[in-house]
This record gives sequence, C-alpha cells and structure tokens, in this order.
Amino acid sequence: MEMAGQDDFKKRRRQAVKTAWLLAAIATLIFIAFILSGVLGS
Amino acid sequence: MSNENTHKHAHAHDHHDDKPTGFLNRWLFTTNHKDIGTLYLILALVMFFVGGAMAMIIRAELFMPGLQLVEPDFFNQMTTMHALIMVFGAVMPAWVGFANWMIPMMIGAPDMALPRLNNWSFWILPFAFTMLASTLFMDSGGPAAGWTLYPPLSLQGGQSFAFVVFSIHMMGISSIMGAINVIATILNMRAPGMGLLRMPLFVWTWLITAFLLIAVMPVLAGAVTMLLTDHFFATSFFNAAGGGDPVMFQHIFWFFGHPEVYILILPAFGVVSEIIPTFARKPLFGYSAMVYATASIAFLSFIVWAHHMFTVGMPLTGELFFMYATMLIAIPTGVKVFNWVSTMWKGSMTFETPMLFAIGFVVLFTIGGLSGLMLAIASVDLQYHDTYFVVAHFHYVLVPGSVFALMAGTYYWLPKWTGHMYSEKWGKIHFWLSAISVNILFFPQHYLGLAGMPRRIPDYSTQFADFNMISSIGGFIFGASQLIFLGVIIHCVYKSRVKAPGRVWEGAKGLEWTLSSPPPYHSFNTPPVIDSTTVAHAEGTH
Repeated sequence: MEMAGQDDFKKRRRQAVKTAWLLAAIATLIFIAFILSGVLGS
Repeated sequence: MSNENTHKHAHAHDHHDDKPTGFLNRWLFTTNHKDIGTLYLILALVMFFVGGAMAMIIRAELFMPGLQLVEPDFFNQMTTMHALIMVFGAVMPAWVGFANWMIPMMIGAPDMALPRLNNWSFWILPFAFTMLASTLFMDSGGPAAGWTLYPPLSLQGGQSFAFVVFSIHMMGISSIMGAINVIATILNMRAPGMGLLRMPLFVWTWLITAFLLIAVMPVLAGAVTMLLTDHFFATSFFNAAGGGDPVMFQHIFWFFGHPEVYILILPAFGVVSEIIPTFARKPLFGYSAMVYATASIAFLSFIVWAHHMFTVGMPLTGELFFMYATMLIAIPTGVKVFNWVSTMWKGSMTFETPMLFAIGFVVLFTIGGLSGLMLAIASVDLQYHDTYFVVAHFHYVLVPGSVFALMAGTYYWLPKWTGHMYSEKWGKIHFWLSAISVNILFFPQHYLGLAGMPRRIPDYSTQFADFNMISSIGGFIFGASQLIFLGVIIHCVYKSRVKAPGRVWEGAKGLEWTLSSPPPYHSFNTPPVIDSTTVAHAEGTH
C-alpha cells in the first residue's frame, strides 16, 4: 500500500476510520452468521 | 548495552511532551498509546498474580492424594477461573499492551490510528474482570465447567452464569476493538518508506493476530449467547432434551478456541524474532519465510479445530482430515524454529536476560509443540484425551511459550519504556529459577497423563502421588519466582539510577531505538526518514 506524504495524518486517520468500520462490519456479520446457524439448525 | 547516541528525532520531539496533568486526565481519559499500553500491562500483571494465586490453590490441593484444602466444587471453580483469567485477563491484555506501546514506535506513527477507541477498549476490561471475579462470591459460585464451558455441565450452574457470559462478551468487544485499531494503524499509519515487508516481525505477527481476533471473537460471542438463552430463556441450541446438539457447541467453541491459542502465541513469535537478532548481532535469518510461516499458521488454525474432539466420534475421513491438517502446522512452526536457530548460528551472542528468556522460549515451546504433534494422532489421542498429558502440553505452549516471551519482551523494552536499566543480576536469577521450576512443574505431568490421571479432579489415586508432589513443589517455586519479576519491575521504575540510552542494546535495530529512553509522549509527529540503518529488516540486508 502506498503511504501518504509527511503532513497528512488527518487524511490517513480518515482512511483508518473507514478501515475500522469495514472490520467492525465483518465482525458483526460473523456474529450474526453463527447465531443464525444456531437458530436455523435447531 | 550500547552507548550509541539517540537519533535526532528523539530530540526533535522532546518539546512536544504535553502530558495531561491530573490523575484522571492522565489515566482515565488518556488517548495516548503509551499510557494505554502501560494500563494494559499493569492490568495483565495484576491478573497474572490473581490467576497465579488460583494455580497455587490447585497445586496445593493436588500436593497429596485426598481432599485437604478446598471443596471439590470450589476446586472446579479454581481450574475454570484460573484458565479464563490467564487467557483473557493476563496473556491477551499483555500482548495488547505490547502492541500499544511498540507498534506506533516501530512503524513511525505518532499514535494508534483510533485513540479514543483505544481508551474504550482498555477501560471495558477492569469492569469485565471485576464482574467475572464477583461470581466467586455469589450463592451459585463461579463457573466450574472448565474454560471450555461445555454444555450440559455449564448449563447446570446457577444465576451467576449470566455474569460470566456478560463478562466474556465485554472481553470479546474489547479484543475486537483492539484488533480493529491494530489493523487500522498498521495499514494506514506507517511512515513513508515503511513497506509491508520492511515491518518488524512483531508488527507482522500482531497484524495477523488481529485478523484472527476479528474472525473468531464473534464466534465465541455467538456460542456463549446461545448458552445464555439455553440457560435463561428455555431455548434448546445445545440442550439434547429439547432437540439441541451439545456436540455443536464443541464445534463452535473450538472453531474459536484453536485460533485463540495462536492469538496467544503469534505475538510471542514476533517478540522472539526481535530479540534473537539483537543479541546474536545478526539480521533475522529468513525474514520473508517468517512472515509467510506466520500467515500459514494462522490459516491452518481455522481448519484443525476438531482435533480437540476426536473422542466425541466422527467419520473416519473427518478424523484423517483433522489429523493431517494439524500435523501440517508443524511445517511452518519448524521453519520458525529453524530460522531462530540459524539466526544464532555463528552470531556474536551475548546472554542478557531478554536473550535467556528468548532461548528458553525456543527450547521449551518446541517441547510443547512436539507433544501437540503427539496429540494430533487421532488413534493415540483416544488415550491422552482429558488426561494430564494435555495439561502438560498446553502449559508448555503457554507458560514457557507465551509467558516467557512476555517476560523476554518486558526485559527487552523495559529500559526503553522507563528510561532506566533493570537489575541484570536479579533478571538472570528470575530466569534461572523460572526455567528450572517450570520444568519441575509441568514435565512430570506428561507422565501423569500417560499413566492415565484425568484432568480437572481434586483427588486422585495414590499411584499418582509422587509426580503430583514434584509438580506442586515446582509450582510453588515458579510462583514465588514471579515475585522477583515484580520486584525487578518496581525497582526499575522507581529506584534504578542507571539511565538507559536511546539504543539500549548494542545490536538492536528498528525505529523504536532511534527515540530517547523513555520516548517522548508523542513519538513521531513528523514521520521519520526510513533507510536500511533504521529498520531491522530492510530488503537486501539479509
């Protein structure tokens, strides 16, 4: 991944927030998938 | 130790040392990665001694055959709580503490990418562990079904089970938020020139660990949520009487549980991969192979879970698949051990305390790995399963494995964190007492297991008496030795008069050593210039 310049921490932090939301969505989906597998399987 | 001058960046940032004033501002509301790292490490140390005290109760009860000190139900609570506290309260938070302290400094970032999330991740934990520990004082007592929480046994506990589940949820949320922060930081906050294959191994192993955490902590959350509704809301996910399947819980739990073991050990691989090159004064042998081996171990950890369940019964093809998949893990792990030894080969080695713990790790973790290979063989696992052989195996992986690596890392970076040198003499005394006693503690447990002694029992047949007594004596010495560790840390923080230079160790390479000791409150407000002299693993230098 190409790194940004020396003075753009704000821009990188905004990108980091996007990464965080994506990862949080993945974690939530995994949780829901396992609960659903239990509900549908029982 | 080197007297080499610190890098110019250290001085360039000293005037940015705007620490918040007041106890609450500094610690409760902190968003600084070093302060939060310190908080994680203090919590982990407290939990290490709380979980250790429970281990002392267990070993005291098992010192002789017969029931002497505690009731059987309380003994079961101790084995369960010891495991939950050591796994979720000591080792995991300790690694997050290391990640907080070191990752921004190692990649040339000013802080973690999401500082307020970082604060929240930490401050959930003291409440989670207070809630978990409080169950010991409730009428129904603490959880007593083992850390695996298998139903139907775990569902036979009392009202306190709700507290256990909620505390596990809080730990899980904290871990996921911490992992999100680590990934977001590593992928977005690296200094220009710090390419992925230039990152220190500790950063690589944590990146992979963080992906494991995000993948499996929600699985545990799902499993315990279903246990909760089975217990309190009359569902039957795992209740056979209602049409549920208790074996399904085991599959879900170990789909989380096996990667969890790697969550505890991968950062240890990273720390050891930092320490050995420093004290061998050679670049790490096979840097890229180490990265790919770590990724391979992480991938394989998802497809081996049912080796914990050979005795449950499964189709022959299933047994064969999980047996061979488990054995495959020996290959990337062997690559790592080979590379650590090759790094030392013909190195200009010295044996300061971090190096002693790192070498102890390589030797003793390998013993745990080999007994794991024995347990992977489905046909012989039928004899080993649920015996002390398993207890010996995973304690070799986790104590002289993860815990030794934590101690190695603490001795390695403590002068950097505090600005003072620790007592090398007491560090070495701590190492030798720990290394000898940990083997007295856990090695006899292999024989107990092979002779058939079951795990999680407060009383046993007299044929197991001698090895249990030896094991308990080792346990008491190991426990007492850790008070030396505490003493060394307290002395280093408050009493040591020996100032640490920026580059604490002569052979150390990496951005963290370009900063002063202790580093400025904000490490790299201006990204550092990366070249082959400041990074440990520049392409073409190994």
